[in-house]
Formats: sequence, C-alpha cells, structure tokens
Amino acid sequence: MNVSLNKLEMEARKSSVIHNLDARIKLIMTLIIIVYSVLTSNILILILLESYIIILTFFSKLSLSYYFKRVLYILPFGGFIAIFQPFILSGTILYTLPFGININYEGIIFAVLLLTRLLVCISMIVLFSSSTPMNNIISSLRSLGFPKILAMILSMTVRYLFVFFDELENIRNAQKSRCFNIWNRKAKYLWTLKQIGYTIMMIFLNSFEKGEKIYFSMISRGYVGETVSYIKEPPMMRINYCILILTLLLIVLLEIAKPFIIL
Amino acid sequence: MHIPDGFIPLEQCVIYYIIVIIIGYFAVRWAKNNLDERQIPLLSVLGAGVFAIMALNIPIPWGTSGHMIGSPIVSILLGSPYAGVLVMTVVLIIQSLAFGDGGVTVLGANIFNMGIIGSFVGFYLFKGLKPFIHATPAVFIGSFLAIFIAAIACAVELAIAGIFPLEDGLIFMGIYHAVIGLVGEGVISTVVYIAINNVRPDLISKGCLDSNEN
Repeated sequence: MNVSLNKLEMEARKSSVIHNLDARIKLIMTLIIIVYSVLTSNILILILLESYIIILTFFSKLSLSYYFKRVLYILPFGGFIAIFQPFILSGTILYTLPFGININYEGIIFAVLLLTRLLVCISMIVLFSSSTPMNNIISSLRSLGFPKILAMILSMTVRYLFVFFDELENIRNAQKSRCFNIWNRKAKYLWTLKQIGYTIMMIFLNSFEKGEKIYFSMISRGYVGETVSYIKEPPMMRINYCILILTLLLIVLLEIAKPFIIL
Repeated sequence: MHIPDGFIPLEQCVIYYIIVIIIGYFAVRWAKNNLDERQIPLLSVLGAGVFAIMALNIPIPWGTSGHMIGSPIVSILLGSPYAGVLVMTVVLIIQSLAFGDGGVTVLGANIFNMGIIGSFVGFYLFKGLKPFIHATPAVFIGSFLAIFIAAIACAVELAIAGIFPLEDGLIFMGIYHAVIGLVGEGVISTVVYIAINNVRPDLISKGCLDSNEN
C-alpha cells in the first residue's frame, strides 16, 4: 500500500474548510470533476482544473509534502502506459531512433493529454480521500443510494481494515525477529514463497475467526440480519452549496470558453 | 492491473458498469438466498483481509515484485464465484475512493477484470479440473489462469479504448502477468489452500474440499 493507513486517517481528521465540508458534497464534486476531465480532451482545460484543485488543496491545510508524495506515488501506474504513446501512435515523425522506432508528434500530444488527465483525477481523489475520514466516505455512499447489503459490507470492511493492517504488521515483525527477510536472495525462493503463503493463510484464518466472533457479538446485541443505523446528520451548511455551485460554474465556464481555448 | 482514470472513454466505461451491475445483482441475490446472516460479517472481514493481502508485496524473479489479487482463492474457499465478486467489489471500491488505486470511472472495468473474470475463471476451472486431477493442482491451475486471463482481458480493453495496440499489450501484459500469476497467485493460493485444508478443513466450503484427504 502506498501510504500508511494511520497517516491517512490522521490527515483526514484535521479541521479546515475542505475537511468540514459534507462528505456527500465532496464525493459529488470529486465525481463531477473526474467525469468532466475524462470527457474533455483539451490540455489547457485540464491544467485549469488542476490549478483549481491545487487552490482547494491549499485551503485544506493538508501537509503538502504528504499530498504530493501520495500523488506522485500513484502516477507511475498509468504514467508507464502514457510514456509509451509517442512510440506507438502513427503520425508526423519527429525523430527516428535506432531499430526503426519513431517518435511521433501526435503521440507526444496524446501522452501529455493522458498524463494531465491522470494528474487531475489523482489529485482530486487524493484531496478527497485525505480530507474525508474513510467512514464518512462509506456513509456518504450509503446515503447516495448504494445497495444496502453492499453498503453494510463496505462499512464493516473499512472498520476492520486497520485491524488487519496491524495483524499483517505483527506477523511481519514476528518474522523479522526470527531474521526472516522477504527480499533475501540467498534463501531458497520456493521456501520464501511458502513462508509468504503461510502469512497469507494466517490472515485468511484470522478473517474467518474474526468474522465468526463478530457475528456472535452482533447476535448478542440483537442482530437479525439487517442493520439500521441512526446517524445524526450534520446540518448542511451554506458553504457546502457554495463550493458545489462554484465547481459547477467553473465547469460550465470552461465548457463555454472551450472554443477559445485552443491547444 | 488497476486501470487508472482517463484511460477508457466514458461511453465504454458505462458498458463495463452495466455488466458489473447485472452480475452484481445476481451476486447480491445469491448472497440473500444462500448466505446465512453469519456470512455477512465474514464477507466484510474477508474484504479487509484481502485488502491487507494485496498490500503484501511478493518478490518475483527479475527483480520486480507483485501482489496477490485473491479473488480465485476466496471463491474457492467460500464455494461460489459470487463471493469472490462481492469481496473484490468492496475492496476495489475502497481502493479507488480512498487510495486512488484504480480509477473511479473505470471502476466497472476493474471490477470486471479482477472481480468477475478472476472469480469465475478461477472457481469454474477449479471445479472442472477437480474430478480429474488432485484438488491441489486444480487450485494452482485455476488461480494462475484466472489472473492470466484477467490480464489478457485488461490488455484487450485498453486496445478497444485505443490506448495500447493489441499485440504489444498482449505481449507485455501477458508475459508480466503470466509470471506474477504463476508465482504470486498460483503458488501462494496453493500454499494457502493446502495449509487451510490441514489446519481448519471445516472452513473450506463442502464442494471444494480436498476429497483425497478426507
């Protein structure tokens, strides 16, 4: 995993204008910005969107080094595919490398487009997830009409994520204290794999056992197969609507100005 | 194998979402009919467990590393591909919304590859092979091919989206995930299956038990 879970929750529980926004509003905003950036193929519009997100990030009081580290960590996943574009698209050849590999103008433009689009999407998701505690993300999904059974599984999964990361860490520490190093090349490879298999088996066993325990403790509190949660909905502050309208306005404006933004 | 946002055009994303929603409907119906209430906490805790498993990097020869996906082995342990689909759906939703691992618009495609293809191919290959060969090699072949075919599907989707040419994509994704699938998914799932079969065989669903040892 790219970030430690605890650090993520610590950042998400800070207090700022962005943190105090309603999770549903933030989720809707995130989805709007991502869908719009996937739809558009204008690099300048994407850059403007990115600057809007960066302004929001400044207001969110997030630790900037942490924020950029997270964005940079996720980028390579798609960036790898984007970097290949200049070599595989056909178009105006700018330069020919040995072995008949051509670098194309269209490919470079397409790669830049993919990368900026990726950057906008990732920085929006990182802003959203590091300013909203995980539990609120899930409960906002539930209140936006997510299927009940899935929402319930989701909210329980999120609660136990932390337990399992601790569990994994404990197992690894125990292995470390026995001088087991997963990257040790001198150990027999199959033997190392077997140890990893046992680690994963322990996590599976723990899941099964914990699942049973949780079920019994739920039943002893009157669980009948369905849960009703009573959550005190925080009042919708006016600022929530303001930010949502601001975002929508920005997108409408960008769409209107599109013919004039040529790139 | 997590496709990021912006790599698949929106209209194609909608198609994957529709496929996922249809299969998700059957999965939820299966859960309502076949799962006793006890297994709902189990599915959620397994989701958290699979999440932790995905965070464990496994060294792969060539100096790279990969991680397990886990949908085939979850399906085999719980005795239905729908269980794998549900667990993977939950894991992928959290990964995309809370970690940015895999995009939001392409969530449908990601669930389709890793959840649906991974679970169905893994489970039915295991089921189909088990009468002919020992259960252990069936787990190995099932989970290895599940990941391999999911990777091929991912390459085909990227080719349809016009991001990567089919041939190169198939070669890159195919070879890379053949190795990861062989080591990360195949060998490790087999170790997990054998170990659980020895320690707590009651946890494996009845149809999927290793019959030779029972």
